[in-house]
Amino acid sequence: MSVIRGGLHSGIVRKIATYLAFCCLLFWVGFPVYYMLITSIMHPHELGAKPPHWIPPEPTADNYREVIIGKSGEGGGYGSTTEFTRMMPALLNSTFVSVTVVLLNLLIGGMAAYAFSRFSFRLSRAAYFGILMTRVLPALSLIVPLFVILRKLKLVNTLGALILTYTIFILPLTIWILREYFDTLARDIEEMALIDGATRWQAFRMVVAPLAVPGIIAVGVMSFMEAWSEFFFALTLTNSLTYPPLLMSFRNLHQVNWNALAAATTLGVLPPVIVAFVFQRYLVRGLSEGAVKG
Amino acid sequence: MATAELSKSAAQARKHWDRKWIPYVLLAPALITIFVIILSPLVTTIAYSFSNIDLIRDRTTFIGLDNYIELFSSRLFWKALEVNLKFAAIVVTVPTLIGLCFALLLVENFIGRSIGRTLLILPWALPWIVVGLLWNWLVNAQFGALNGLLYTLGLIDKYIPFMADEDLALVFTALASAWRQTSFSAILLLAALQTIPEDLYDAAKVDGAGMRARFRFITFAWLRPTLTIVLLYNVVLGFLQFDAVWIMTQGGPGDATMLISVLLYRYTFINFDLGMGAAVSNVLGLITMGVGLIFVRLIYRSQGTYA
Repeated sequence: MSVIRGGLHSGIVRKIATYLAFCCLLFWVGFPVYYMLITSIMHPHELGAKPPHWIPPEPTADNYREVIIGKSGEGGGYGSTTEFTRMMPALLNSTFVSVTVVLLNLLIGGMAAYAFSRFSFRLSRAAYFGILMTRVLPALSLIVPLFVILRKLKLVNTLGALILTYTIFILPLTIWILREYFDTLARDIEEMALIDGATRWQAFRMVVAPLAVPGIIAVGVMSFMEAWSEFFFALTLTNSLTYPPLLMSFRNLHQVNWNALAAATTLGVLPPVIVAFVFQRYLVRGLSEGAVKG
Repeated sequence: MATAELSKSAAQARKHWDRKWIPYVLLAPALITIFVIILSPLVTTIAYSFSNIDLIRDRTTFIGLDNYIELFSSRLFWKALEVNLKFAAIVVTVPTLIGLCFALLLVENFIGRSIGRTLLILPWALPWIVVGLLWNWLVNAQFGALNGLLYTLGLIDKYIPFMADEDLALVFTALASAWRQTSFSAILLLAALQTIPEDLYDAAKVDGAGMRARFRFITFAWLRPTLTIVLLYNVVLGFLQFDAVWIMTQGGPGDATMLISVLLYRYTFINFDLGMGAAVSNVLGLITMGVGLIFVRLIYRSQGTYA
């Protein structure tokens, strides 16, 4: 489908314009990412070259090795030796946190969304509205009392603090999207199942859940991305246990091995990028539904 | 509506299946956790903003509006507000315009479209902190890619320390935020473009509408609600961005990139003045909610016109 179709007199002009715009898109998205990638496979001494080597003449895996093994490679004197030993554990922590958040979020959010979708009960509208309103609150602004509460719960500087906060901050969006899905899904079939003697749980599991799979995937993917990327809580509630705040602490080192930092960054963005590419379709749908209705 | 009637008759049939307590049990985990982690801190933050909190002696005194008065009479706050408004102006306009262009491009039929659509997601898939790092590498004075590019093209013969300049630092931190947000905006706009029925264009052409008229009365009219939402998200980001700016400049040079969120961080975690931090939080929250409400009103109005 073309939106401005046929207005330009010749097809050629139109084609040229299209490909020019496409090149702009490639450059806009690609240039910053490409520079990170080539930096990550360069030797540190190549970094300041003028003009820069746009294609690294002697690509190396040293930077990745340094990050994965946690040792400083070439030169050795970059002062970042100990910090880099924290990278792999941080990636593992990030994975654990993100996966747990996805599961908890789907469970708690799914239950709540189902309740809002299928039952009418006292204060349901007020509760729903209240939950949605929390989406406009800047999470940033709650940090001090949150810190106090989590300290009372003895969760400060644990992964539990992150799992708890991430799950809850993503819940409103989950409830919103899943409720919309449940609302449009096969209510009549579900009720027939109920009349035929199925329990609510059976009706949910056999009828509703399978049909809501696209929504569930979209919500799952979005909560994974959120949890993987979150920086501020991880910075203030823990001592850089996960990947994003650890990147920040590398950045703050006096002498940074930029090439190793580029390698660490690349490694750490692989999970969300892969997830985004694989689930592209669901993601786009979930994003636009969550945004448009939220 | 048919479904409503169906569910009504069926609802009577299944009445005995519905125990009154089921929805409450299903909702309990969500409501309790949201209450503990979001609502109670919210109330506490409001209370803190009227207090002086002495962390050393562990004493909290009620001081009324003093924090707000101090905040509004401080030079720092007005500076942060000014910086933030400029920052937000870029974060609102750039992603909306470029995002619209990319969406219009990617709805065209051409070889490379699916690559383009996939690549479009890439910036959005990157954490903000990584976006900040990427742009740091772009604008670095010793080995930055932008300097390298300008040098390779022969446009400069000495690398420029972009981030040492106050105005440029603000522009580049805003562009970094705009870069990722462009993808988000384009994704939303593209999804909306794909729902425009083709025959609208055909009908318009039959009626003799030119390209401009078709764009204005079909494409743009159809996109209007989505554009409003995109604008809303971009405005909110313009006021709540922290991560990418923090890793790029931490508010500097001087106070050139000190957004209100950065000011909030400084009061809370550097000065440990929790009362002032809470006051800044509330002001920031009110600004974003105020802007949000304006946009929600606009959305409802535009829906009224078109639905």
